[in-house]
Amino acid sequence: MSTPAVTEPAVAGPPVTGRAVAGRRLTSFMPVIALVVLLAALTVADPGFLTLNSLTAAARTSAPLVVLAAGATLVVLCGGIDLSIAALCSLATVFFALWLPDLGGLTTVAVVAATAAIGAAQGVAHVLLRIPSFIVTLGGLSIFSAIALVISDAGPIRVVDRDVTHWLTLYVGGVVPMAFVVALLVVVVVSLVLRSTPLESWIRATGYSESAARLAGAPVDVVKVAAFTVSGACAGLAAIMLVSRNFSGSPTMADNLLLPAVAAIVVGGTAITGGHGSLWRSLAGALVVTLLRVGLPIVGVPSAYEQILYGAIIVAAVALTLDRSKVQIIK
Amino acid sequence: MTSPADADLEVVHARRPRPRRGVSLRDAGPPVALVVVFGIFAALSPGFRTLSNVQNVLDAAAVLTVVTCGITFVLMMGSIDLSAPGIMGASAIAVALLVANNRNDNDYGLLGVVLAVLLGAGLGCLSGLALVTLKVPSFMTTLGISAVGLGVATLMFAGVQPNVSDRMLAGLAVERFLGLAHLTWIAFACVLVGWLVQRYSRLGRYAFAIGGAEEVLALSGVRVAPYKVAVFTMAGAFYGLAGVMVTSQLGAGLVQAGRGYDFSAIAAAVVGGTLLIGGRGGILHSAVGVLLVTVLTNGLVQVGVSPYWQGGVQGLIVVAAVAAAVIPQRRRNQVTK
Repeated sequence: MSTPAVTEPAVAGPPVTGRAVAGRRLTSFMPVIALVVLLAALTVADPGFLTLNSLTAAARTSAPLVVLAAGATLVVLCGGIDLSIAALCSLATVFFALWLPDLGGLTTVAVVAATAAIGAAQGVAHVLLRIPSFIVTLGGLSIFSAIALVISDAGPIRVVDRDVTHWLTLYVGGVVPMAFVVALLVVVVVSLVLRSTPLESWIRATGYSESAARLAGAPVDVVKVAAFTVSGACAGLAAIMLVSRNFSGSPTMADNLLLPAVAAIVVGGTAITGGHGSLWRSLAGALVVTLLRVGLPIVGVPSAYEQILYGAIIVAAVALTLDRSKVQIIK
Repeated sequence: MTSPADADLEVVHARRPRPRRGVSLRDAGPPVALVVVFGIFAALSPGFRTLSNVQNVLDAAAVLTVVTCGITFVLMMGSIDLSAPGIMGASAIAVALLVANNRNDNDYGLLGVVLAVLLGAGLGCLSGLALVTLKVPSFMTTLGISAVGLGVATLMFAGVQPNVSDRMLAGLAVERFLGLAHLTWIAFACVLVGWLVQRYSRLGRYAFAIGGAEEVLALSGVRVAPYKVAVFTMAGAFYGLAGVMVTSQLGAGLVQAGRGYDFSAIAAAVVGGTLLIGGRGGILHSAVGVLLVTVLTNGLVQVGVSPYWQGGVQGLIVVAAVAAAVIPQRRRNQVTK
């Protein structure tokens, strides 16, 4: 298997050693520290940055990324990965633009339901067929892109009726963008639901050691499918945020959000090996990534370096957060 | 196959012969599928069964073949490689800027091609090093390296498309030898080189062994890490060459030169019978897989299916092929990540 290969009989010793605890303490503050340092650095570079206007704009830009990363975090917590979120999000923008004339106000619900169902289908394929999650979602990525290209005729579709998405462009109290509030709500609600039900322990158990979770009676398969479902629904919601900003649906609109979303998750300190992490971390990670994106041009770095930075960040962050006690052979 | 000698040797493991029969079936499956698919399309479409279309299929398969040659070794080790788009983009732009072009006064000709391939090898080496030293899973390191490659390509692109005016490079895609473009012959050469490496070099055999049982190999005193880095470096070199070939076809360097090739190559390798868990398959399997994927793509277009479905069909094939390969081990393998 090419994902972090856990050998079958999970013989990994006691998962938490002294060093790991210290390391985890550090990584748990890493995203917040990075966020503060970035803000400070940007303010020094351009004193005009720390104003209400630019922070509001940054928050608004970050909203779709936060939602995407939050959804995919659940899958990562289970020990898998979802590489299809960006393609699914693009497909959802096309759905939205196509369905809006017929469904009107119900389109939002319909799109989120559709993407949730697609996410669930991926989860079922992963669980039933025993295919590694990254292969299922890589396959999903290309299938969704193909569907989006075909049904949209490979071009953007204008959204004429803007009333349905108007609420997302409002500002709460005249300051906080509604899209960002919705993104925060997603993180808060999902986190609360996890905490107040056994779901959180099931997800963590699945991520830390799937075979142990199975033996302990956790409904591992159901939990995994649920994680993929939420991830799909989040991709749909992110799509609606994108449409509310761009007034069109396009088969490639969100494709460039995959790397930032993965970067947000790993920068937040969620271990790619599963179990360790949270949605809050991904929120912080997404803000860090957005600030980088917004901030690079301010500091005077050409945006071509953005990609290189993502690549370096992903590798470095995964290296820092990887749970080495669990992975004996890295494939 | 269950020869009597085998049966004698393996009294203890009575179940052993079964997976073996599976292997031989798997070896025969892809070529049979290729013939069947070819036959179906030939029956359905008059345009498909012409000689010129067969030439088209072979020419269209050239770039994918080279990419797949690289990725096959990585898959044989049980790793995965998503870095093809980035590395191909970087080398495509690099070669366009190094040979005679409209952006600068360089005219290095063949040396430029070599440098672009070396750039690819360097990037591949980076992902191998990140895997071995930082212990980051390969699908993450290669995703990162792909982004780095795209960034490097965008930097070199600098907003102005470099058009190639070099005769030699542009000629590779146009000039024909025995009815096939020179690029197609390069692809054949790559398959040959890949096969020789796989069959006769320590690198190829260890790549197999790493995929089969890395722990055993390490315990028997082999230092696995250098071979892993070497395999990723070689894969990078193949992607670099593929990027050069795309530039030759387009006559210009594009950042998007390698878009989608990572997945197509994985699809081709998997369809050809290379297992994602490593230790099975090989270059010749992958070559058959490439032909299968290309014939399918070409045939569907000939039959009148929208070319936009291409990626979707590949996605379905990969999921189906991986699922089929996993079925024999279903019961043993409880944990899937």
